[in-house]
Amino acid sequence: MQMSEVVEEHPSLIPIINRFGIRLGLGDKSVQEICDEYQLDPDFLLIVINTFLNEEYFPEKKLQTFHTSQIIDYLVKTNNYYLYFQLPNIEHHLTSFISMNISGNQTLALIGKFFFSFKNELVARIENDDRQWFPYCLALSGKLQEKIHKKDNQALSLNLEKRSEDVIEELLADLKRIIVKHLSGDYNLNLCYAVVSSISSLEKDIRQHNRIRFRILAPMVDAMEKLSVK
Amino acid sequence: MRRTKQIAIILSDTLQSAGLQSLLADYFPPVEILNFHSFSDFPENGNDFHYYFTKADTFMLNVDFFLPRRSRTLIITSDEKTSASSMGYNYLSTGLPQESLIEQLQQFFSTEESNDMTERSKELSLREKDVLKLIAQGSTNKDIADKLNISLNTVLTHRKNITARLGIKTVSGLTFYAIMNGLVSSELIG
Repeated sequence: MQMSEVVEEHPSLIPIINRFGIRLGLGDKSVQEICDEYQLDPDFLLIVINTFLNEEYFPEKKLQTFHTSQIIDYLVKTNNYYLYFQLPNIEHHLTSFISMNISGNQTLALIGKFFFSFKNELVARIENDDRQWFPYCLALSGKLQEKIHKKDNQALSLNLEKRSEDVIEELLADLKRIIVKHLSGDYNLNLCYAVVSSISSLEKDIRQHNRIRFRILAPMVDAMEKLSVK
Repeated sequence: MRRTKQIAIILSDTLQSAGLQSLLADYFPPVEILNFHSFSDFPENGNDFHYYFTKADTFMLNVDFFLPRRSRTLIITSDEKTSASSMGYNYLSTGLPQESLIEQLQQFFSTEESNDMTERSKELSLREKDVLKLIAQGSTNKDIADKLNISLNTVLTHRKNITARLGIKTVSGLTFYAIMNGLVSSELIG
């Protein structure tokens, strides 16, 4: 199957393939050819694409067969995408939404405030990923490969990553619901839609990210921790 | 918010249950569906589902279970002459065109749903507003219990109800709602 056909059918995949370094101008290349060109694991690319398109589909066992570094690499890329594209994008729409407010509707500024509290939360999580959690996971997997059995208890006890409910997701859902359900007063319809749809696409992306994070990476780390203690 | 329909499909025919499941998920969301190959796989003391989909023979063999739940049970049949509901039983014949299938499913859900449209006022009660104000001001559950002279459990119940009413889960979201509706002024918030 040609990669271009898939992307034409589902343009929402563009940011996903971008994350793997794939750029548009796909030509007639098949998925396999693209993967060869960019030196990607086609199995991994396909699984990420499929889980993104079909939220029912989440082959946990298969995903856990990939290497820790592959999973983390992908999560890092999605984090960067939030930081450098999606958050600024929402912010951009939100700023015009708030400033195009002639009638002095105060709720809009409040929505802005709420967004920034969400943003802080997400940015903090990403920083923590980069500084602590991801390096820890990688170190753990490297340690196992070299079969060095150090018995130091420097386990960062990152068990907090095993939440089933995620604050980030909840904040985002609340933000959307507040606009949809509780918005009042005068506001610009178009800009409001731009805000909601950008929030919604971030929400979907984070949901996918979290599935991989909590249901794949966290259990992998768990298992590795047990092995490294032995 | 529409409540998620919890549905048990008890059919030995895997294709049939998969087809039914996809129809339900596509046309009647939100749904939460569990498939059971036979009635014996069915958790005996498990939670009661909102709806059951099964075959007539399973129904008859487990009549003690299904009879009290017959208004919430849809019997899948291949007999096209069976009318959609007769004698208080609901039937769905698999041979119907998709459009009619969906119509019948719609009917099945709507008759049942109108029965349990409980009173759901959108307004928060006075007590809930008090709790919400305190949440917005950053009080912990224990603070709230002390200030309002109620038990911790009562606070938790209020919080649960507030979240259910407003659809807002996080403290930041609740705070926002409280400010927006003039329950607290934004100066009170840190």
